[in-house]
Amino acid sequence: MIVTAFFYIFAAILVASAGMVVAARNPVHAVLFLILAFFNAAGLFLIAGAEFLAMILVIVYVGAVAVLFLFVVMMLDIRFDQMREGLQRYAPIGAAVGLVLFAELVATLAGLKIAPVEAAAPAASGLTNSAELGLVIYTRYIFLFQACGIVLLVAMIGAIVLTLRERVSSRKQDIAVQHARHPADTLVMADPVAGSGMDGQILRAPGWTPALDKPAPARLETTS
Amino acid sequence: MAPVINDYFPVLVFVVIAFVIALAMVGGSLLAGKQKPYPEKLSAYECGFEAFDDSRRRFDVRFYLVSILFIIFDLEVAFLFPWAVSLSRIGMFGFLSMLGFLGVLTVGFIYEWRKGALEWE
Repeated sequence: MIVTAFFYIFAAILVASAGMVVAARNPVHAVLFLILAFFNAAGLFLIAGAEFLAMILVIVYVGAVAVLFLFVVMMLDIRFDQMREGLQRYAPIGAAVGLVLFAELVATLAGLKIAPVEAAAPAASGLTNSAELGLVIYTRYIFLFQACGIVLLVAMIGAIVLTLRERVSSRKQDIAVQHARHPADTLVMADPVAGSGMDGQILRAPGWTPALDKPAPARLETTS
Repeated sequence: MAPVINDYFPVLVFVVIAFVIALAMVGGSLLAGKQKPYPEKLSAYECGFEAFDDSRRRFDVRFYLVSILFIIFDLEVAFLFPWAVSLSRIGMFGFLSMLGFLGVLTVGFIYEWRKGALEWE
């Protein structure tokens, strides 16, 4: 009873927030509504008994994908006043894509029976949700599983190739080099005779030349 | 679906408490607080100087890179959970299957490490 009530609550909020994702003017608000939709979808999964999928939806979609969407939205150069400009131009294309998707949905749902004959419940094995999944993912569906790994690899390499730029100007700290540095490399102990100066005894970096734009430091003239 | 969902009753209690507290805070300040807004008060607060720019500036693309790398390893860990709980039943084949998956992703991990994608200047 209470579960049914929660099903309708989750479903109503899911549909409403999905509508708001499309309708919200501010794209950041749209992403926040998308997060709300993800949460409610997780609730629906939970009611359907798919515990593991519900938690994965929260961890992966809310925790990672939504953050990615937020970054993408913030990366775009969006001016809110200019956002509605292209609406007239792009509306026919959008309507065409929507029509194709709607036709596919109808074609899929046409073969669906709303209340099929009491489906035979799978034999209760006493295993938890994730253990049941683990029994099939890695053995029966091994090809899909490995293909998933390949897809992730492609996504990783693609993102790096597309976005990584070397910045030569950055002065980053290389801890290993700092630790490997030895006092003998940088420090020289000198014992000059009084009044003779330090000519020839100061250790310089290999490519060092006296700066030409700066005047040389004034020498102390020793009077005899 | 009583058996699974019954375990989540405490979660429901927590969610309800969280909602009540959040609504009480926002609603309480809305009802009890005196609100006299004027333009200076509503403008962006910037430690004594005028705001330089809109807050809707473009972010660096490196945030996106970090985020997508996080998703990939998040998914990798998500695949490890069912594997870990069913490892005793899927035998050597299931074990090697996961090792192959991890191997493929390790190739990507070494690539991104060598390219310096994990470094932030």
